[in-house]
This record gives sequence, structure tokens and C-alpha cells, in this order.
Amino acid sequence: MHESKSSGAKNIELALGSTLSRRSFLKILMMTGAAAALPSTGLLRSFSQEGPAFGRATFAGLGAYQTFRNACPRNCYDTCGIVSYVKDGVLEFVEGEPTSTYTDGGLCVKGYAYPRTVYSPDRIKYPMRQIGRGSGNWERISWEEALDAISGKILEIKEKDGSLLGMALTKYSGNFGITHYGVEGMLSSLGYTTRFVGTPCWPAGIDAQNYDMGNMWCNDPEDMVQAKYIIVWGANPAYCSVHSLKYIYEAKKRGAKVVVIDPVLTQTAVKGDEYWQVKPGSDGALALAMSRHLIDQGLVNRDWAAANGLGYDEYEAYIKANVTVEWGAEQAGLPVDVVKRVAEEFAAADPATIWIGYGMQRHVNGGVNVRAIDALVAMTGNVGKPGGGARYGHLFTWGFNYNAMVQAAPEGSVGYTGATGPKGEFDTGQGADATASYTDRTFNINKIGQEILDAQDPPVRLLWIANKNVVSQDFDKNKIVKAFEKVEMIVAVDLFFNPTVEQADIVLPTVTPFEDWTVNVSYWHYWLHLNEQAIKPLFETKSDIEIASALSAVLNAKQPGSCTFPQNIDAKEMMIKEFNDGIYQLFGITSWEDLRKGAAKAKLPSSASWSDLKFATPSGKYEFKSEIAQTNGHTALPEYKAGREAYAPLRLLTPHAKHGLHSQFQNLDWMHDLNPEPLVYVHPQTAGAKGIVDGDTVRVFNPTGEVRLKAQLTNNVPADTLLMYEAWFSAKNTFNVNLLVDDVSSDMGAYKTGSPGVAIHDQFADIEKVAA
Amino acid sequence: MSKRYAFHVNMALCIGCDTCAMACKNQYHQEAGIVWRKVYPVSEAIYPHRDRAWMSLACNHCDNPPCLEGCPASAYTKRDDGVVVHHPDLCIGCQQCLHTCPFGVPQYNPHTKKAEKCSLCWERLDAGLQPACVQGCPTGALSLVDLNTFDDPSAIQFPPGFPHRPEVGPSTRFTLPEQPKIVRRES
Repeated sequence: MHESKSSGAKNIELALGSTLSRRSFLKILMMTGAAAALPSTGLLRSFSQEGPAFGRATFAGLGAYQTFRNACPRNCYDTCGIVSYVKDGVLEFVEGEPTSTYTDGGLCVKGYAYPRTVYSPDRIKYPMRQIGRGSGNWERISWEEALDAISGKILEIKEKDGSLLGMALTKYSGNFGITHYGVEGMLSSLGYTTRFVGTPCWPAGIDAQNYDMGNMWCNDPEDMVQAKYIIVWGANPAYCSVHSLKYIYEAKKRGAKVVVIDPVLTQTAVKGDEYWQVKPGSDGALALAMSRHLIDQGLVNRDWAAANGLGYDEYEAYIKANVTVEWGAEQAGLPVDVVKRVAEEFAAADPATIWIGYGMQRHVNGGVNVRAIDALVAMTGNVGKPGGGARYGHLFTWGFNYNAMVQAAPEGSVGYTGATGPKGEFDTGQGADATASYTDRTFNINKIGQEILDAQDPPVRLLWIANKNVVSQDFDKNKIVKAFEKVEMIVAVDLFFNPTVEQADIVLPTVTPFEDWTVNVSYWHYWLHLNEQAIKPLFETKSDIEIASALSAVLNAKQPGSCTFPQNIDAKEMMIKEFNDGIYQLFGITSWEDLRKGAAKAKLPSSASWSDLKFATPSGKYEFKSEIAQTNGHTALPEYKAGREAYAPLRLLTPHAKHGLHSQFQNLDWMHDLNPEPLVYVHPQTAGAKGIVDGDTVRVFNPTGEVRLKAQLTNNVPADTLLMYEAWFSAKNTFNVNLLVDDVSSDMGAYKTGSPGVAIHDQFADIEKVAA
Repeated sequence: MSKRYAFHVNMALCIGCDTCAMACKNQYHQEAGIVWRKVYPVSEAIYPHRDRAWMSLACNHCDNPPCLEGCPASAYTKRDDGVVVHHPDLCIGCQQCLHTCPFGVPQYNPHTKKAEKCSLCWERLDAGLQPACVQGCPTGALSLVDLNTFDDPSAIQFPPGFPHRPEVGPSTRFTLPEQPKIVRRES
């Protein structure tokens, strides 16, 4: 294999040997990592001997392919439309949806890896049973055996406890296709169960926007081109929303100024005009300081606040009494004159907008910090304007039937009798039966370990995990694994043998979007994408609703009437049943089949949210002062709230990565070519003090746990901060950031999503060099 | 007059997202370890922030391609439109091209025992489509240009860090990255 080293760094080294510039070239162009060029062990590893032929390809001419419309459902701002090219039943390649001006004919590094996702040799192909969790001792079983074991457990629990509250579901964003809410539907169809509710992602900000405006509702991102001033505050679209960059670039081209506020000099930050390195969690203090300066300078749009706001005068009085620009700037770590200048520029620009990222609300004060930023946008009169707005997200286009989700409990089901709130941000209340005397038991999705440890009467006996890599993505991994020991049976539905599947008793193989029928919308842009079945499901894989249907058949055979989920479903018919006239009207289509020709965009009265300035708050106004917030235990005004006290010497940030969407995609061998291993990013000064040089193996540790990985030195991170991206797994590497992230809650989230969020970025750790 | 196709790499727009590199694998399914387009980080000596400016490079489809000139098997040809094509059926796997290319473009595939490289998606060009990498670029940083008509005044042929080899005439053109005003924490 020695000669194959030439396929990478060695190759360039050899080639450059004949040039005068070789040394400077090597010095200047750091290789993306020698490991990226390591030889593979064989030809493109085939899916398996019996699998379809997926190997080297070339473009065979447009006439050679059948095309299908698909959508990327992986919890991303961009939620891209995909055109799939299929030849002889094989997904040969994918392209971006050309009829969507947002996707604009191109995908991202993750989306283009989809053919490898489908045909990866690592995919789970059959139901399997693990003898000893974490042992890797898997044996193939039939669907009949798997469903017999699971249905047996369900009936056993009902018999033992008199209810199914001992069966719990944790599910989140692995696939946001609308039919995938059939997982919740499956649980409902069995009776009253335990649900892990809420969202780890964005709940504090959702509540904040609900307190302020009555809903979370953002402008069309495509109207950012009209903005004269853009503050990207705690968002990194260069990694997490690559298709939004073109609108920011266009705004810049038309003369807009772009300021990026982030603890880290991100890839987005270097594309702006100005970057502010802020202390994590200081965003509220900074927004208050900017607001104070606007008040002092008479730059508040008082007419707007008087006409459209509630409680502005009280907010101003609070700021005058409690906030100085100097204090707020110091909290953020920024020079006073800079804060004043940008506040003035922002107020002078018309329209001006702030993109509020999800990262900045993952703090113990994250929700109230979002409220302070919302208020800054409102008091400059920028809410409700095309090109303006406090942009966070929206669920405006999600008005489907949730036909798969809404299932009745079997007759005679017994459940929980206490009060419960919403079951997540997508719970529109359509599934709730107000007349039912019982309901589901709800647990905090963000404290799965603690909730299972604490659960009694009944304990969690059977845990169903779908669309979620809990052990990789939930908080305090060690606690979760310990809690799982209490659970009698764990069933995971997944594509790959990930850290969650490692801890399961039974794994059920599921489908990629290309083997599925569903429909997708975004929480950022306003496009609607059909997802057609482009290829037959490989091996024995089934979609979530097909699994529910099969389980229903087995249960009803064993105990008639024990499950209401429809049997013998047709996946396409189930997709069609999610559409309604409201969706058709909103998107200006007459049938779902129109979407086979391309994507459809919502027909919006304005590109701006709240363009009629009729807010969904109790007062109908923008509520600088929210009584609901006060009732829910927060301050009525977006007052300053301190961040979390440090519990270790260095701040630990674990944001989203470039090469993965949470834990998905980064495990593929194609992705490893570009992103060969996880790293911790350390400021050179901090590293120097610890005797750490670039490439050293280090231990990062705190009271929650520790990880070992290589260090990369960079002044993109502040000296008091360590950064590692949120996920990276392979068979050879057990890296997991949630060995270091505890489950402390953020301030808000419970109001609209059922549980508070998690203070993911209020974490601390120390670092030391260890032997490689 | 025929075209002279070239890549224009606008580093001011490039976010180093690797979409172009994966768009290529999506089209051709190269084995793990083989990547025809690579997105190289520009060193801090040139751009002061690590991993924040990038040079997306594949074959430069040179005017005087050394791979072609040095190939003992005549496995390389250059089309009228400038595309340098490698013909695997003629390649004998001698790796001469790996040594003669000043940019380290051809890669040896140990499985096929042949060299290989970016084809500028000539099959797609002939079908009236953009190269896969260009089609995929979400920011407009990577584009296909015709050097006979291309007149972007910001474009240069030899940016810092790219080997200065005018005699081989690499066709790729570059626009340099910009830097924001940076306000770092005082405490």
C-alpha cells in the first residue's frame, strides 16, 4: 500500500519537489489533515454482497436517469429540496432543488453525502438483538421475532402496571418529515404512555418570542437582501445555514453593513464587516447597553413603541435606573465606544435586522437575553418590516393534518391524571382530547437520565427511541447510561450503529429519505418540499409509520383492540393524508402532485412577519412588558439576568459542526475524508501555559466527565474558552461531548415546548496534556 | 473561437464548507481516501485566522499541462475547450504525472492501480450543465469561466500560497479573501 500515500499530502509533496515554491507552498497551504489521505482498505466498500451495485460512477447524460423529488429532513434551517437521479433502481447522485430560490440548485457537504448514507456498508440492514448492552454482541433476528418481543413487553407492562405509563418515548429531530410524527402516533395508539417532551434545541428563544410577540415568527430569510444593517447574533450560517449566506452577501453588495456577534471568530464572522468577540451569556447585558445608548441619544422610535408596544415606558425606566452603557459593555467585554457606534448605526439604518442564533439562548439566561434583543429590534421600529425583524424561526408553514400523529388510545386505556403542558414546539394541540380523563405522563426531554432515575409508579420499563441519538446528543452521557440500566427493554430505530444503538436491546432498521414518502417544510425559509420514494427500501428497512403499522398488526393479533394504529398502511397514502386545504391555499397549489414538478413557496402577504403589527400577545401589542412571562416565573420586562457561575477554569463551548447535522453524516467514510477526527480548539496562550502544542493529545475534564482527543491551537477562540464540535462518532472513536455537558436547564422553554431548554453553552472544563 | 474553460475561486465568498468536494464525490463515488477537489485552509502567514480562508482546488487544466507532456502512455489529452482529460483505459499507473504536476493534482488509486483526477465534469459540460462542484457551491464562490471573455479585475492567477508556475499556465483564477474589522474582548 506504500504507493497509495501519493493520493494525498504525500502526492503534493512529491509533486512540489520539483518547484522552487515547494516549501512556501507547504508552509502556506496546510494540508486538510494527513489522515484524510490515508489509504482505504479496499475498493469503495460495497453495501454488501447482496446489495445493489453502488460503485464508481460518471455522469451518463440526463436521459439516463429517472428523477424524483426529495427533501433533507435533518433539522436544519435550510431543509433543502433535493432532485434525486436514479438509474437501474440505484440512487446515483443528488442535486439541489432548482425550483426553490432558497436551495437554488445546490446542497451542502452533508446533502451531497446522501448517496453514501443510503449505500453505506455501515447501515443497519435487519432487525437485530444485542446480547448484553454495549457488548456489540448482535444477532440478526426477523421482524416477527423483534415485534413479538416488543409486543410481549408492552402487554406484560399493561398487565403488571394496569397502564402503559411504563413505556416511554424519546424522539426528536432525526427526521422532521411530517409522517414521522407517526412515532408519537404509535405511542398514542397503544394508550397513555410516558413522553419525553420539549426540545434541546431552541426552546428558551421560542418562549421569549412568544412573550414578546405572541408567537415565534421570522421574516422570509430571502428578504435579508433588503436590509441596510444586519447583526448576526450568535448564529453561524456559514456552517449551519449555508444557503442563507447568499442573501447576506447580496445585502452587503447593496451597501448593508454586517456585524457578527459571537464568542468565537466563526467562519461567518470573517465574512462580515465587523466582528465582536463577546463573553458567552452576556448578550442580554449587551442589548440592554445598546438600548440605553439609544435612549440617551434620543434614537428610540418612540412613535412605534407607543403605537405598537405595551410597557415600553416601564422598560425605558428600568433601563435608566439599572443599566449604563459602560456596565453593559464591560459585561460583554467590549469597548464602550464600539458599542455606542454600532447602536447608533443600527438605529440609523432602515430597515435593520438581527438574526438571533440558537446558540446564544443555550444559557441559564438565554431566554431573557433573546427578549432583550427582540426589544432592541422593536424599539428601533424594525419589527414587522421587510428586511427588518428579530429573526429566530417560525412554524408558520407547519399546518399539516398530523394524521399519522393523531391516534386515539384504545378503549379502556388508563393513564396519567395530573396536569400536562405541550409536548414540544410542534404540538399544536390538535392531538389533545380535552374530554379525556387521562393523559400521557410527561418528562423533560433534556433530563432523560435524571428522569429515568427518578421515575416511579411506574418506572420506565420500555424505552422507544426514534429519530434521536440520545446517548450522543443528550446531556451527561454517563448519567444516561447509568439510568438505562433501570430500563427493562430499550428499542432503537436507526440507520447506523451509533452510541445510542450500542445501548439498545433491539434495533430496528429504518429508511433514508430516498426510501420514504413524506413532506417537509422548514422553520426558517417558506418553501414546501415533497419527498418521494425514489428507490425501494433497502434490505429489511421500514419507515417509522410502517413499523407502527406492523407492531399494531402483531398486537391486535395477540390482544384484539390493544392498538389503534392503522394496519397495512400505504406510505404514500399516509403522506397524502397529511395535506389539507389550508396547506394547499397557503402554498398556492391544488394538489400534492403539483409538488412533483418542483417546490412551492408560501404565498405571504409580506416577506415580513407581523407586517400588520397585530401581535398575538394578550394585548395585541409588542409586549416589552409581558404578564405571562411574570406569571411563568420570569421578570415581566427583559431585565438583566446573570449567567451561570463558572465551575471549572475554562468555558466549554460545543457548537454545531460543519460536517454534520448533530450526529448525522459525520460517521460516513466519505465525510471522514474531509473531517478525519474530532479536535478541541485551544487558544495558543492557554495551550502554552499548559505545555500543549498543536496536535498533542489532551484530556478535557470537568465534574461531569472527561474526553481525550487532539488539540488544535487557534486564536479563533478566546483564551478562557475551549471549543469542540458537538458530535463525531465512528467504530474507532468514542468521542462524545456530552461526557462534559451537564443537564442544567436554561431559563425558558417550558411555556411553549413543555420543558425548559438546556444551558449547553454554560459549561466549563479544564485541559491537560496526556500521553498519546 | 472555442472556449477556454477555467475555475474562478472567489476566496472572498468562500466559506470553506467543503460542499464542492462532496458534490464531486456525489457524482463520481470516489473510494474513501480519494478526493478530486480539496478545500485547503490558507495559512495564518497569509490570512491571519486559522481555518477561516480557503483555497478550493481541483485540476487547474493548464495551458501546457505537464501531466500530459510527461505521460509515457499518452493517457492525457487536452480538449479544444481547455479541459485536460485523463483516460484510465490508457493509463499504465506509472505515476509520472504525480511527479510532474506542480500542484499535486493527479492521485494514484491503489485499487485501480491507475492515476486519476478532476475531469472538469466534461460529460456534464457537454450536456450543457455546470461542473458538479460549481453547481453545488452555495455562495457563488466557485464558478466556471471562459478565459476568452473573463474580465473580473479582482481575479489573479497566482495568489500567495499557490505555486508560481507561469510556464505551465494554470487556468484557475482567484479573488483574494477580505478581513473584517475585529473587536476582541478587553476582559
